[in-house]
Amino acid sequence: MADKMQEEILDIVSMVIEKEKDQIPLDAHLVQEVGADSMMALEILAALEKKYRIIIPEEKLKEMTTVNRIIAMAKTARGSRKK
Amino acid sequence: MTAQKLPLEIEDIKKLIPQRFPFLMIDRVLEASPEKVVAIKNVTANEPYFTGHFPDQKVMPGVLLIEAMAQAGIVLYRQKFPNNKLLFLVSVKARFYAPVIPGDQLRIEIFNIKLSSKMGLFKGEISVNESKVAEAEIACGSKDQKKS
Repeated sequence: MADKMQEEILDIVSMVIEKEKDQIPLDAHLVQEVGADSMMALEILAALEKKYRIIIPEEKLKEMTTVNRIIAMAKTARGSRKK
Repeated sequence: MTAQKLPLEIEDIKKLIPQRFPFLMIDRVLEASPEKVVAIKNVTANEPYFTGHFPDQKVMPGVLLIEAMAQAGIVLYRQKFPNNKLLFLVSVKARFYAPVIPGDQLRIEIFNIKLSSKMGLFKGEISVNESKVAEAEIACGSKDQKKS
């Protein structure tokens, strides 16, 4: 389950920033190292909200720096929705 | 700041968007909420750009259809964030289906994908007589306005 989510999120990130998945290390800083920009972060956030039917507040945008952090954030948001 | 009495007419629209003649691409706003905006533009043979586009056959330029969606997008943004930030385009993915000619009434529908106070992402569709002539996914950024 966890790995599936990681794969799905990597798919989204790779699609939005138009890079192959193997060029996006999970711990690389998306803006500084991978070449994303803040608008792409918003697109990723919108895609996550749609896919997992979660709501991610705007303040979380600046925390979305690496794929691993995005995965953690999506999991937290999903967890709180189930309660 | 956001006038809520619908439809919004041109003077109300001018309070929401900074564009002016000859670049006002919406005439009326029929619906306005942070989720959806519906605006109307009437295309007439008098529009200044028809002089050159084209001299013998008047077709409304596609970029101006995008502009119309972008301006309706500003109205959408202002429904959620009634500030006076200047919005600018960041990316546009657009597709055009049919030419727009004088006499057409554009129905511009904008749907929120994700709005944040600093940026916005929305989808736009333009139809004439209920058939789609253009659609686009538009991203915009924002900047504080210079005080004059």
